[in-house]
Amino acid sequence: MLGYEPGDSLAHRLDPRTKLAVQLAFAAAAFAHTDPRGLAMLTGVTALALASARLSPVSVIWGYRFLLPLLAAAVLFELVTLGPPWIELEAAADPLLASYRTLLIVAVAAGYVRTTPARESRAAVQWAVPGKPGRLLGAGVGLVFRFLPLLRRDLAAIRDAERARLGDERSTRERLETVGAAGLRRAFARADRLAMALSARCFSWNATLPRIRFRAVDVPAVLLAAGLGASMVV
Amino acid sequence: MSTATDSVDLVGDEVAVNLVRAALLAALMGAFAFVSFPNPLNPAVPVTAQVLGVFLAGIYLGPAWGGFAMVLYVLAGALGAPVFSGAGAGLGEIFGPTGGYLVSYPFAAALIGAVVHGVDGLVDPEGVSVARLVGAMAAGTVVIYALGIVVYWYYLDTSLVAAIVGAGLAFVPAEAVKMAAAMGIVRSEEVQAT
Repeated sequence: MLGYEPGDSLAHRLDPRTKLAVQLAFAAAAFAHTDPRGLAMLTGVTALALASARLSPVSVIWGYRFLLPLLAAAVLFELVTLGPPWIELEAAADPLLASYRTLLIVAVAAGYVRTTPARESRAAVQWAVPGKPGRLLGAGVGLVFRFLPLLRRDLAAIRDAERARLGDERSTRERLETVGAAGLRRAFARADRLAMALSARCFSWNATLPRIRFRAVDVPAVLLAAGLGASMVV
Repeated sequence: MSTATDSVDLVGDEVAVNLVRAALLAALMGAFAFVSFPNPLNPAVPVTAQVLGVFLAGIYLGPAWGGFAMVLYVLAGALGAPVFSGAGAGLGEIFGPTGGYLVSYPFAAALIGAVVHGVDGLVDPEGVSVARLVGAMAAGTVVIYALGIVVYWYYLDTSLVAAIVGAGLAFVPAEAVKMAAAMGIVRSEEVQAT
């Protein structure tokens, strides 16, 4: 599983907004140039992005291995036909290129995931969406990051208890129902306690933001994003 | 550190409660992505409980905050929280084969919430009729799969038939099981709506 890890790579030092801009420009360029030549050039950009995050391609593919069957299915479905000539190589070319494009976009995004802590992402959200909606989104995203491990542990405990009582021999509907109900009850109990604690500690709209700023190191990355964006019109 | 000298503008209690509930429901949905169950109809594709999270968001939080919870889910995942299926994360997932499903969740939850609660104020879901709950979830499922299939078709450059088979038919039967489970949760005494 791919997640944030502290470090001092080039990508760690970039501003989160720069990294988001590169990802969006990269995705747009990849959709505009889904041909062998375009994807070959974008493979170079992907290698650059992974190197700047000190991330190996193997660990990215392992981290996103669940996508592979979906991508392979799309290619296989077009490749194999129910009747002569049974295999149509030409029909599979487009899905193959599209699947490869998806892998490239996912790999570039993996660089962001590995090198950006939640608080910087939150600051970028509140920069992009000004005012109270941005504050709500920022605070909410922060809470999701914070509570995800706790709720995962809650669900694991519920499933352990279920297994100990041979609950895993029940039907899927019953199991979904018990795990869902117990998970939701615990999540809401945590939410009510947390909301009261936040109110008691003067939860305010104008809390101090973590500081993010563009630095010299961002210049080449911003130029890369601009170049990728410009490649769509040439 | 930067400092601010303007006076503190407190978040109202109601907004704070709803924000926290929405965020925790989004996190719960992320936790659901880690648990899979055997699929009674198609053993090759295990059932994950994420769509159950969409149903519960609409039913328990209503159209506005339920939709907001799903926006938080998608945003947090795009920004690196491992909440997508297979503990995936990152903006790349939005542009991947399952991106359409992810983008559809806020709309589906808002629709489910609107059908269950109406547009003025929230009602206790325990008092809502079975037909209305099932109708709401069915409508939400249609939204999820419509967007999911169209995006799969567009992103992967397949034929529409391949998209419907690969992204839709393989998963739809399991949704009925999740709807039944959601009904059971609403009817159980265990979860209090407010």
